Amino acid sequence: MAEKVKFPVWEGTFIETPEGGILVGNKCKACGQVFFPKARICFDCFNEDMEELLLSRRGKLYSYAIGRMASLHFQPPYALGYIDLPEGVRIFAPLKVEESEYEQLKIGMDMEVVIEKLWEEADKEIIGYKFKPAI
Amino acid sequence: MREVAVIGVGQSVFGKLPERSPFELGQEAVMAALKDANVSPEEIPVGYCSRLYFDTAVSGQNILARVGIHNIEVVNVENACAGGSTSFRGVWKDIASGLYDIGIAIGVESMTTSPIAHKMIPPGKEDLEGQLGITMPAIFSILANRYMEQYGATVEDFAQVSVKNHHHGCLNPYSQYKKEFTVEEVLNSRMIADPITLLECCPNTDGAAAAVLCSMDRARRYASTPIKVAATVLLSGDYKHLNDDMLFSVLGSKAAKMAYEMAGIGPEDLDVVDLHDAFAPEEIFRYEELGLCPRGEGVRLLNSGATALGGSIPVNTGGGLLSLGHPLSASGIRQIVELALQLRGQVGARQVPNAKVALAHMLGGSVPSLDAGACGIEILTT
Repeated sequence: MAEKVKFPVWEGTFIETPEGGILVGNKCKACGQVFFPKARICFDCFNEDMEELLLSRRGKLYSYAIGRMASLHFQPPYALGYIDLPEGVRIFAPLKVEESEYEQLKIGMDMEVVIEKLWEEADKEIIGYKFKPAI
Repeated sequence: MREVAVIGVGQSVFGKLPERSPFELGQEAVMAALKDANVSPEEIPVGYCSRLYFDTAVSGQNILARVGIHNIEVVNVENACAGGSTSFRGVWKDIASGLYDIGIAIGVESMTTSPIAHKMIPPGKEDLEGQLGITMPAIFSILANRYMEQYGATVEDFAQVSVKNHHHGCLNPYSQYKKEFTVEEVLNSRMIADPITLLECCPNTDGAAAAVLCSMDRARRYASTPIKVAATVLLSGDYKHLNDDMLFSVLGSKAAKMAYEMAGIGPEDLDVVDLHDAFAPEEIFRYEELGLCPRGEGVRLLNSGATALGGSIPVNTGGGLLSLGHPLSASGIRQIVELALQLRGQVGARQVPNAKVALAHMLGGSVPSLDAGACGIEILTT
């Protein structure tokens, strides 16, 4: 059986390196505001001169929830949360946590980005980012 | 701008009514509002109608044609759950500016016959967070968990919002649910997204509501108690909320501040409030944004009994979205119905004594990176 073609969940939001996945945002060259996903122009000062920025792999869990009803692509239960990165962006992401470990999720804990398959479609595999508790 | 009054209000019963067409529900609301206003169909020169999910366009014309209103200006609007507030504001603007003297605002939604019946509202293809699994209950669960951590609230506190609003709903003949629940029953209902349970989520609802507005100088021809529109505000969301304290919506507090300034009052002057309680914890966040209490003290306000009937500032006296039900685009107008009747002293067992100043608050839609699509606030006074 032919291998499924891999597609990113959102173009240009991450890269994979030997050291692990990295999220890619951008930064306004005029005022320094950071965006993820990348913004076409700066929402703060309307400057159009933006530079790509590789974001830190680790951040802190702002808060989380456990979904008990199916979402568009995920069957319950699943963990979701917002992670604050040092660059000043808060990122929504699925959390890579086993059901037996939900109790260990704590607001403020260190989290680390992972790039992996999110779901499969007929002929493709959708690849994206999750955050897992950092060791 | 001229002073504008609400001179008539009406609504259909709210509930799961798949056998009734949305146009029929709208007709029922419009006829009730016209009768309440003592206005005949041929006197209406303009109508706004809000609806989100439809297979037949021009809902406003379809509804108004059924009550004999033809050859007038009709505007159909969509602004998600703030659609009703938007339709109300549209008519208000047309009258305040002097373009018309009288008009009707309608909101209608048939959730059980919509493409999303029995489902959670699905995300769009352009919604990255939605693709990654965010849902409305999940967003509010994330905020609820953070609120518990930040302010020491408990799941029992959140459940109390549902207990209160279901109690209010029992006193409203138009509400979808007329059933009392205990905190324990709320917590033991099915888990939707920890810590939010089924009884802490607004249901899928069908229904319609309508309000007749008129310039104040003409209002007394029709109404013995015209209700003054002291403020209307409609504001889109701010992208920066993700970097802020997500428990305190900058959008909501900004819209509230604008409304208070326009009405020349403060939150301490309010007698009754109807706000967006799509999920139980949300009601507590909104107390703080609207300035009913200081930041972080929403639970204390709730547990003091102040926001229940009999308290100093009753909130969601008709049952709120949790018990009265939430036909998305109708809810903003339904709030006007509840509050106008409160100010007229006509809601019987759920009457707030001597209510003179009322505030309605709705939020509509999610836009990736914005805290909400729209926030609509109206202040009504006797």
